[in-house]
Amino acid sequence: MEGWKGWLVNRVTITFGLIAIVTVGWNLYVRAHNDGILEGEVVDAGGQPVADATVILNEQTLVSLAPIAETTTNENGSFNFLKHDRHKVVLTVAKPGAGASDRILVRLYFRNQNHTLPDPIILQPRG
Amino acid sequence: MRRYPTWPIHLALLLTACVMLVPFYWVFKTSITGENIFSYPPSLLPVDPQPFFYVDAWYAIPFPRFFLNSVIVAVMVIVANLFINAAAGYALTKNFAGKRWIILLFLACMMIPFHATIIPAYLITAKLGLLNSYLGLGLPAFSHIICIFIFKASFDAIPPSLIQAAKIDGVPERDIMLKIMLPLAKPAVATTIILSFIWSWNDFLWPLIIVRDVEMQTLPLGLSTFLAYFEDTTGALYAFCTMVLAPGLLVFLLAQKEFIQGLTSGARKG
Repeated sequence: MEGWKGWLVNRVTITFGLIAIVTVGWNLYVRAHNDGILEGEVVDAGGQPVADATVILNEQTLVSLAPIAETTTNENGSFNFLKHDRHKVVLTVAKPGAGASDRILVRLYFRNQNHTLPDPIILQPRG
Repeated sequence: MRRYPTWPIHLALLLTACVMLVPFYWVFKTSITGENIFSYPPSLLPVDPQPFFYVDAWYAIPFPRFFLNSVIVAVMVIVANLFINAAAGYALTKNFAGKRWIILLFLACMMIPFHATIIPAYLITAKLGLLNSYLGLGLPAFSHIICIFIFKASFDAIPPSLIQAAKIDGVPERDIMLKIMLPLAKPAVATTIILSFIWSWNDFLWPLIIVRDVEMQTLPLGLSTFLAYFEDTTGALYAFCTMVLAPGLLVFLLAQKEFIQGLTSGARKG
């Protein structure tokens, strides 16, 4: 190939061009999905939505969990956090009389990613 | 003449290639599984692979900034190496008084490790006011003697009649080098690009000495910072290593054909 085609169509241009396209595409995707909305649902052992359960958003440090935000579930058992500004968080849920959940580790592909928990968080009665 | 089957040689080469690739595979596998390197028995295939260690590594340190610093320094080093080494290599194809001594001096200098000259290099860089700067980071790597000899070998392989014809046509010496010699020495150019890129990309000691601010750190320095911040980092550490390795591998794979030609061009001559 002659001239500009030779410069345009070669393995170096194609490789770095593809990398540039993927990078731009990924950044556009991040820009469109970085409101920091983390939402989910809390149910009891029978699968019924649990209202007024306390959901705590924690940051995992080397030795402990550090709470960074807290909310309560609505009548449908749903909750959400806004602007969590993390890429890895741990959720804990508890409600007096209804029990508590296991620690739910949520890992995200980028900071502030919008994410809906795929499965409801189940409260288990604790002795 | 009896022809022997080639498959045993190919099989042996394939097995050798697999053995050589095992460390790369192991680093990549650990980066997506976080498996402890001391776990026994080790699993050959990734168990429960996931990409989140790369996310951890990305946010653990200012990766984009370190990456940008490494790219800026590498580009400066590549450009400087191409011009300086090509010019020096071209000069060594000429006949002049003391040429033999200059070549001997270059060869002798190759035997001195950089660590032995690091204090004078630091003092010169400080005198020039280039500490903690991109130019200071790249300066000692602006020319590599081995690349001068690669260019020399490549230029020597070009028929002298070509240069003589250009001279008869009145082409100036500079254009002979830039427009005739360099386009014919693509393997040497590719070799210089690869070698200077990899040496600059992996350099740790020189940036460690002259960089003062975190914002000026390059990726190898970032690796040490990364290790200092965290303890349980198996997955993220290997993810970071993979991200540091990837550009070098990419550049090598893109130019490997010319790289091998460049290294063997001198061997073919004569």
